[in-house]
Amino acid sequence: MATLEQTRTRQDHIAEKIKKVQELYADAPEVGRTALKNGLEALKRELAAAPVRQSAGRIGARRGKVSELTAIVPLAPGGGKRIRGLLDVLEGNFKGADLVGTLHDMRFVLLDNDTKLLFATTYDGEWDAYIDDFVTKIPNSMDILFCNCEGWPGIHSPKVKDYIAKTQYTADAWYVASPNLTVAEAWRLEKVGKAVDELLDKIG
Amino acid sequence: MLSVKESSDANVSTQAPMLDLHEIQATVLRLRPAPYFGSHVLLRIDEAQAGRELLRRLTPHVDSAANWWRPASAWLSLAISYAGLEAIGVQQNSLQSFPEAFRVGMAARSRQLRDEGVNDPENWEPLFGKGEIHIGLNAFSDSKEKWQRIVEMARGQYQSLSGIGVVNVQDFGAQPDDLNSLGYKDGIDQPPIEGSGVDPLPGQGRPIKAGEFILGYPGEAGVPLPMPQPDILGRNGTYVGYRKYQSRVGAFNRFLRANGSTEEERELLAAKLVGRWRSGAPLTLAPDVDNPALGADPKRNNDFNYANDTHGRQVPFGAHIRRMNPRDTQLTRLTDVNIHRVIRRGTTYGKPYDPNAFSQEDDEVPRGAIFLFISAKAMATMEFLQQEWIDEGNFIGIGSERDPIIGRQEEGAVFTIPKEPVRRRVHGIETFNVLRGGEYFFMPSISALKWVASLSG
Repeated sequence: MATLEQTRTRQDHIAEKIKKVQELYADAPEVGRTALKNGLEALKRELAAAPVRQSAGRIGARRGKVSELTAIVPLAPGGGKRIRGLLDVLEGNFKGADLVGTLHDMRFVLLDNDTKLLFATTYDGEWDAYIDDFVTKIPNSMDILFCNCEGWPGIHSPKVKDYIAKTQYTADAWYVASPNLTVAEAWRLEKVGKAVDELLDKIG
Repeated sequence: MLSVKESSDANVSTQAPMLDLHEIQATVLRLRPAPYFGSHVLLRIDEAQAGRELLRRLTPHVDSAANWWRPASAWLSLAISYAGLEAIGVQQNSLQSFPEAFRVGMAARSRQLRDEGVNDPENWEPLFGKGEIHIGLNAFSDSKEKWQRIVEMARGQYQSLSGIGVVNVQDFGAQPDDLNSLGYKDGIDQPPIEGSGVDPLPGQGRPIKAGEFILGYPGEAGVPLPMPQPDILGRNGTYVGYRKYQSRVGAFNRFLRANGSTEEERELLAAKLVGRWRSGAPLTLAPDVDNPALGADPKRNNDFNYANDTHGRQVPFGAHIRRMNPRDTQLTRLTDVNIHRVIRRGTTYGKPYDPNAFSQEDDEVPRGAIFLFISAKAMATMEFLQQEWIDEGNFIGIGSERDPIIGRQEEGAVFTIPKEPVRRRVHGIETFNVLRGGEYFFMPSISALKWVASLSG
């Protein structure tokens, strides 16, 4: 029967993967080898789950409706100082980003004596769908922040998409708890939850 | 152009046009006539020499957009696909200056266009997606006789060239009351273009920068879009997304019948799907009963916004026209509505809409629309529209709902109609228009056509 055959192939496939991990860990420290032995059953279950690797379009990973962008950008001379100063003044306030409506989070980490910026974000949809909208709607916010990056062509430049893609690194692995929950949907559910509670308060 | 009538009620501007209308092809700006007749002719270039000879012969017959606001009786346009530019002998450095999505063609961009499932290029008519469509001619006319004359003239030119093959000829139009294949008046809302010589009609919004639609002019961001090189090839040209849809009229009628028990209920549901009654009258201005006189009046049938309909009780958020032009609707994402517009030339082909067609066989009757989507960045705009506004609902706060008219529906799809006290959710919505094929074309200026025709080698 075809289904039985498929199950067998699947099991072979998992066994192969387990073997590969065991080989990788042959020269691992003692603590790692023991852990692998003890955790083998859990790992088998993990491997049995269907693979979910997807692309966010040109670059970056995607899970369901959510994508990731991880960029490491060399900073222009003085750029590190300006970004650090700017982030200090903002005191963690990115209320303006609410307007964008697709950003789940943004992370700025200055590296190597403020000479590089690690920028990571989780966003909804396709890689470059809304970049043109940034150009006409929030060009100043984009240029104020990213002019500190080496070689930033300016948000109005037709080369801006190539620039971003060049600084981007696709995540080698990425976990998303709610791959179908967009920012808009999360905000809607928050509202619905609140409304349901209010209703229950009234009748309860 | 065979003749030009002198008078028209178009909104001719008091300011002189800023665009080189004599260079831009007529189809870019001319509205579809009423009634309308026409043909799409798709040709293959087997020998570069023959391709250039065809351009030499046809260019004198290709009409420009000069005085486009005056009614004309017939016009011919010519567009070239990337495979066509290669086949006709355009040099490598020029070819490389075209955007990637145009170079690889529409079929190769199926993932970005969400052309999957029934709309997958694998299921297209065999003539599409094979790189064999090189030249697209389209002829429009307001009379059967003049349409036949112009098509005959074009045929005379390409048929006598042995290095040119005919891929397909598709006639269109000649529909009763110019209704589309699902029985609606269509093509009402077009983007207003700055400097085109015509002021916006009431409700059309502020004019959009010409560079969004025609190459060589500043766009909404204040700078011109990148242009194919050399300059003479790109300037005053634009891109055309050609998409052929087959209407599943049986499925559409079955859906209306299953969800409306009276004629009135069915027509209201049909209006909710689109945002307009079949007459063209917008629900915003005629929320409860149809008003055919309003639908027929170009000065009034587009004169509205959604300021008084923020809950979607007149026009549902998922309705076709609210998606394709959200106007002042509060969207969930930072969006510049003006940079995602596209000029549409919808051309209905095949049997007219039949309200009594209910069978599955009726779904397969050749009948539907071929759209020309025209913009200086047609590829990027179409991908955006397909990803964000057609096969999604998040942008307007309705989760995964898709466009009820041109969306590809998945199992269990719904359409939500906001209502007091509770919304109505209509189940069982199907894919009513199936994609049967498509291609990207470049529609060059008149000078660019001459330039290509004169290439050597």
